[in-house]
Amino acid sequence: MPQRRVLIVDDALFMRNTLRDIFTSAGFAVAGEADDGVQAVNLFRELKPDLVTMDIVMPYKSGIDATREIVQLDPAAVVIMCSALGQESLVMEAIEAGATDFIVKPFRGEDVLAVVKKVLGE
Amino acid sequence: MADGPHKFLPLFITEAGETLQQLGAELVKLEQEPEGVPVWDAIFRRLHSLKGSAATVGLKSIVEIAHEAEALVGRLKASGARPERTQIDLLLQASDVLTAQVAQVAEDLAKANRAEQTGNSALLARLADASKAVVVPEAPPTPAPVSAPPQVDPSLPRLDVFFSLSKTCQAPGARALIVQRKLKAVGTLLEMEPSPQQLMQKKGGVRVSALLATDHPIEDVRAAFNGIPEIESVEVQVAPVATGPSLPEGPTPPPGQLRPVTETSVSEDLRPEATIRVRAQALDQLLDQAAEVLHGIARLREAARKLPEAAAPAFEAEVDRLRRTARDLHGRVMNARLTPFSALSERLPRAIRDLAHRLGKEVELEVQGAEVELDRTLIDALGDPLTHLVRNAIDHGVESSAVRSAAGKPRRGKLLLTARRERDKVLVDVVDDGAGFDAGRLRDRAVGMGAISAEKAAELTDQQAFDLAFLPGLSTRPEATEVSGRGVGLDAVKSAIEALGGKLSLRSTPGKGTQFTLELPLSVSMANLLLVQVGGELYGLPMTRVVVTTEYDLSARGGEGFEARSLAVMGQLVRAYSLSKLFGLPSLAPPGPRPFAVLEVDGITFALSVDRLVGQEEAVLKPLFPPLDRIKGLAGTTVLGNGRPLLVLDPRGVHDLAETGTRVKGAA
Repeated sequence: MPQRRVLIVDDALFMRNTLRDIFTSAGFAVAGEADDGVQAVNLFRELKPDLVTMDIVMPYKSGIDATREIVQLDPAAVVIMCSALGQESLVMEAIEAGATDFIVKPFRGEDVLAVVKKVLGE
Repeated sequence: MADGPHKFLPLFITEAGETLQQLGAELVKLEQEPEGVPVWDAIFRRLHSLKGSAATVGLKSIVEIAHEAEALVGRLKASGARPERTQIDLLLQASDVLTAQVAQVAEDLAKANRAEQTGNSALLARLADASKAVVVPEAPPTPAPVSAPPQVDPSLPRLDVFFSLSKTCQAPGARALIVQRKLKAVGTLLEMEPSPQQLMQKKGGVRVSALLATDHPIEDVRAAFNGIPEIESVEVQVAPVATGPSLPEGPTPPPGQLRPVTETSVSEDLRPEATIRVRAQALDQLLDQAAEVLHGIARLREAARKLPEAAAPAFEAEVDRLRRTARDLHGRVMNARLTPFSALSERLPRAIRDLAHRLGKEVELEVQGAEVELDRTLIDALGDPLTHLVRNAIDHGVESSAVRSAAGKPRRGKLLLTARRERDKVLVDVVDDGAGFDAGRLRDRAVGMGAISAEKAAELTDQQAFDLAFLPGLSTRPEATEVSGRGVGLDAVKSAIEALGGKLSLRSTPGKGTQFTLELPLSVSMANLLLVQVGGELYGLPMTRVVVTTEYDLSARGGEGFEARSLAVMGQLVRAYSLSKLFGLPSLAPPGPRPFAVLEVDGITFALSVDRLVGQEEAVLKPLFPPLDRIKGLAGTTVLGNGRPLLVLDPRGVHDLAETGTRVKGAA
């Protein structure tokens, strides 16, 4: 199986680094990182990743709006929302906007990978 | 309800209040359009849902009244006959009593719990009697449901779907929503219990059941769960009998015809479902705080100028980014405060009906643009002026049916209320098809009360003469009426609209009718002002900058006419300046103790002496127009509730003026 390519979107460097560690140690390639919703949409268009992890609350453009645009660009896009506990209504809004699935912060590496593998059908 | 009030009682009270308000409006509408079956259905639904909610929170008295009223409505609807005035009156009375009882619940829960509310029995008996008296045809035709639900092919197989959410699932509502989406991709979802919304904020480990109409094989439906995490023990089987979900109200559908689940649908047009209630005050506080954050960021930018060059660019970039986010936040909070015009217009039909009946007139109200959104402050502030204009139109504008008939007009007068948006303005029209204003009479009255000369009056065009109606104390009615009194206070309405930063204008055609147009800003910023008097003029100081007010006797320290000195305020020495000196105004205060406003700007505290402290007032701040915008020390203008214009001072500018020793000339 070819190496899966991930786009990590989060405005916090800490979260981007954490996710990068989780994905690279599991054999994924991190295709790119974005720290706001505008950049996320641009990088998605450019990189065509297999998977996007998307923070919800970000400057310029929220993760929900970015997800909506990404799904418009590619209805088969796999977008996983990274939300904090207690943001359930935002997660539901993101799902309505076309997000594939979600993970709830704080998460452990295996939680993230379990969801990702399930969603990618592995 | 021995075990205390229901957890959701506050929600019940809010919702019941809204339901009853809508009910009142619909009853009035029904009287005007008796053919409207949809209105009957809506009224029936309101009473039914009120009954259900009241039963849930254990309010027996409300349940009883709602039940009998619902029965009457059901029979009236089935009879197909035009409702009589007395029947509508009775239902309106029921609506009033229900409203009062809901208010009572809000006020005193324990009292409302007593089943035997005094006076209930008589009302209940009358409702029941009225219900019995309505003749219902033998086999009434089943009316179509209000909005025909999308039909599902009855021949499609029904599948029962069961699944559990894992115990560790942290967002069961979101998880169930994903399942719902997957199931909708393989069929028509008829039921889901509990719904994603019900599962929100709950714990995992819940068992969910769903009913799906589909011609996909069972394996496909089971496979739909494959890519979904946190799902356990999925079961899919053919449903034993195609029994429909029990409908909450309305007629029972024919067997096999089911209603798809729409409550949790994700389509755009159902978005209003995804709302939550927020206390209006909480939004106001949020707005204030968002504005404070913006101010803080502005101060940060100022401070950044003093940074060494190596550090400045990175810091400024961050501050800029913060500022954009804060602006965005401020804009969003402003938007969240928008309220539809219907919040205002829905209150009117009942008032119009009652007033028209009292005056023996027939008036029909049409509202256009009920969905147009306005700032909540405007909605709150417009209630009285708008009611005033509407009452005025019915009392003075619309003629009696007899007069109208004689003039060849429809017997029933028409009142049109429209709201529309134009760029950054909201326009509200109040239009009646009544007698219109009498320009000649307005001229006479204005001359009679000495407002203008006879020559001047003769020069006025009719349109200019109409504007005389806004003069204080002017009325063309020879006698005061019970309803709107003499003079009607159109001047008061105009002042109220101008205090909101808006304009009020009037056009009228004799015999054809009158149109009032309210031109309003889309949003308003209210400022709490301390009103002070200096040199015979009033000025406003933003309360947010006022630390304290105090009195100090200067004569004890060397007399009046000081430029600057120091005062001890709350244990510290602050500079004191004379506002009259700064603005070059005469001080009219008598010798002796004088009032001071102590202000704080950017960490600097200083005191301003004034002639008199007048009071506090909330007012809409408007930007300065040239040439006032070039005068240092002014922040804006405003119009007070009494229609008086006012200059609002900018404490920072005033302080700068005082420090540089500049004096403003001719500011007042």
